[in-house]
Amino acid sequence: MARIVHYLNQFFIGAGGEDAAASPPSSQPGPVGPGRRLAQLLGDDHEIVATVSCGDDDAAGRPEAVAEIVALIQEARPDLVVTGPAFTSGRYGLACARVAAAAKVAGLNSVAAMHPDNPGLDEAGGAPVIASGEAARLMGPALDTLAVAVRKLLAGEVLTTADGLVGLAPRQPRMADRNAAERAVDLALARLGGDREATEVPLPRFDKVTPAPPVTDLATATVAILTEGALVPDDNPGGLESARATRWLRYSLAGREELTPGEWRSVHGGFSTVWANADPHRILPLDAARQLEREGAIGHLHEEFLVTAGNGTSVANARRFGVEWAADLRHSGARAAILTAT
Amino acid sequence: MLIRSIHRVRSVGLGEATTWQDGELTVSAEEAQALLSAPCLADVRVTWASPGDAVRIVKVLDVVEPRTKGQGGGGIFPGWLDGPPVDGPTHILRGAAVVVAGYLPRAQEAVIDMTGPAAELSPFGATHNLVIEFTPAPDADWAEVDDVLRRGSLALASRLAETALDTPPDEEETVPDPGEVDGLPRIGAITNLQTQGVFKDVFVRGASFNGLEPALIDPAELDDGAVVSGQYGHPSLRNPTWVHQNHPVVNALRARHGVDLAFAGVVLAPEPVSASEKARISIAAAQLCAEAGFEAVILTKEGGGNADADVALKMDALEDLGIATVGLFAEMAGPDGTGPPIVVAPERATAMVSTGNYDTRLSLPEMDRALGGDELALLRVPATSAMELPTAVILASLSPLGWGRLTCSPAA
Repeated sequence: MARIVHYLNQFFIGAGGEDAAASPPSSQPGPVGPGRRLAQLLGDDHEIVATVSCGDDDAAGRPEAVAEIVALIQEARPDLVVTGPAFTSGRYGLACARVAAAAKVAGLNSVAAMHPDNPGLDEAGGAPVIASGEAARLMGPALDTLAVAVRKLLAGEVLTTADGLVGLAPRQPRMADRNAAERAVDLALARLGGDREATEVPLPRFDKVTPAPPVTDLATATVAILTEGALVPDDNPGGLESARATRWLRYSLAGREELTPGEWRSVHGGFSTVWANADPHRILPLDAARQLEREGAIGHLHEEFLVTAGNGTSVANARRFGVEWAADLRHSGARAAILTAT
Repeated sequence: MLIRSIHRVRSVGLGEATTWQDGELTVSAEEAQALLSAPCLADVRVTWASPGDAVRIVKVLDVVEPRTKGQGGGGIFPGWLDGPPVDGPTHILRGAAVVVAGYLPRAQEAVIDMTGPAAELSPFGATHNLVIEFTPAPDADWAEVDDVLRRGSLALASRLAETALDTPPDEEETVPDPGEVDGLPRIGAITNLQTQGVFKDVFVRGASFNGLEPALIDPAELDDGAVVSGQYGHPSLRNPTWVHQNHPVVNALRARHGVDLAFAGVVLAPEPVSASEKARISIAAAQLCAEAGFEAVILTKEGGGNADADVALKMDALEDLGIATVGLFAEMAGPDGTGPPIVVAPERATAMVSTGNYDTRLSLPEMDRALGGDELALLRVPATSAMELPTAVILASLSPLGWGRLTCSPAA
């Protein structure tokens, strides 16, 4: 009998929607929600021994959450950890990917399920990811595919794209026989010959972002200001990188009416920071935001700002920052955000 | 028709006078310093770094190949040197380079290693590099320092090549002009120049290309230094003057002119900052290619993810006009190669060449000497120490103009 632990978010265990998104990790015996159908599909020689769950904001926004989730999973001594399906849900996908990756690191066999455009895909580390459709209405076929993959994994087989395995094969550097210019000439001749397939770079999959609906009650809403303009305290205590950022930072705006030149500095490496440093409001418009707050145009200004450097940042890191910022802001009650770009 | 007289540099040194004899280039440090003398510079130092030396050059700004057509340049580096134009071959000291290295604000730190795994990734790991280090005068204006270094290094590059004017070259190359060849497809190039203001600018015939329109240029002008770099952004993704002088796409098209294609010409295009200007310039460049009768275009960029947009927009604009297009991209796929490879992808065009992954980590050995600075500011470590760096930091290692052999393919 193969022991399986299933990870789901607060919604799929029936604990609630966004109102329950901050709920901490929890565990309960047996299959829950979509886990029941998965257990049926897997049949008698497999058992979902426990379902571990966590609210999306907590799982994607609090750094310790993933380790706590994995600890709960380990208590149930699984042969395999299954996370999702997360469809295109960003925070949930990130949690499913990170839990699967962390379980793998902890020596457990694991698999995640989500749509190929889910930003979590890049965070699954060594864990395989099985494709699902875009939304929960496609739960049925998603579980059909997942159940087949689960059986194969438990039988020690290697998953392939035929099993729904997604994620680009990692891009590996190598030296070609000829330089890039000479190869480009060959490709131009192939393209002139009608070949529309030939390329050295596969087209990346980009998310189609649907804007959130407008905030209808701005006069009572908490609004955050965010920036990729790398504005940090003058001594850059968090060590924000000027290029190829791997992190984001938060700084308090509580009790602060304006940003004094000399106390703040942009460490961004992609543009001349002279004018930004002369007046930091050019990067982070705290002065204007405070004015709107006084005028009552917005309810409150969120009391901290989030910052990174958008310069040569990998798309994978940028996606991760976005999901983490969304979870963090939801968690702290911000209803809208203005993100300044350079 | 351009003729290149190529003099191969076999050894280098410093001496009393600047001379060229039997493949040995000797440079008078005093003469080099005089060419770079200006009130805004307190001190200029001149040092050779040769292939195989345990030397790391940090804070590299620009690199120039020594070339001249006559005394005072003979028309080389137009707009910078004032020697009267000479109608004759371009003399080239192949295998030597003038390298300017030192701190400038806004410059992203670029590295050249003369030995170890990074040496083969940069064009300048294989050249004898005359490294110019400098100390600005107190309160010197940085833009003036930049200008003086540029003028001085171009004058020095021309002066070095002058020593070979009366010597028979090792090789002479006749370079074809662009033109039609019956029955062969006309393929041209668009070269995007990242023109985004001081310290991130490119000069054409001595003037900033910032704010100008796409324009056709006689490719022979590129060999003669019409395009000079003042672009100190992304080290691996900038095009130093040396690479424009040896434009890899232009040379690859010339090599097959009359064989299986007709080299149709070169369009220079700016990379503006705003999205609307990027779109407008892309349409203008595509129209220019159509008017010039290009049937296919090889398109190159300069800069990071921002510049992917300039390539993607132009690729689509060209394909919309029925012109087959190949774009050169560096990938930004993360250290393990699992991230999306490019930042902005074309929507309709499809043919792309990869010049390698920006994020691939390199383990670089400890060196005996460092030039350009004592510290690698990026890691706050001594510049001579063993270190791990992303390929992104190695100068021209992902050459957007197609110099390198680095590429990526999916793991098996």
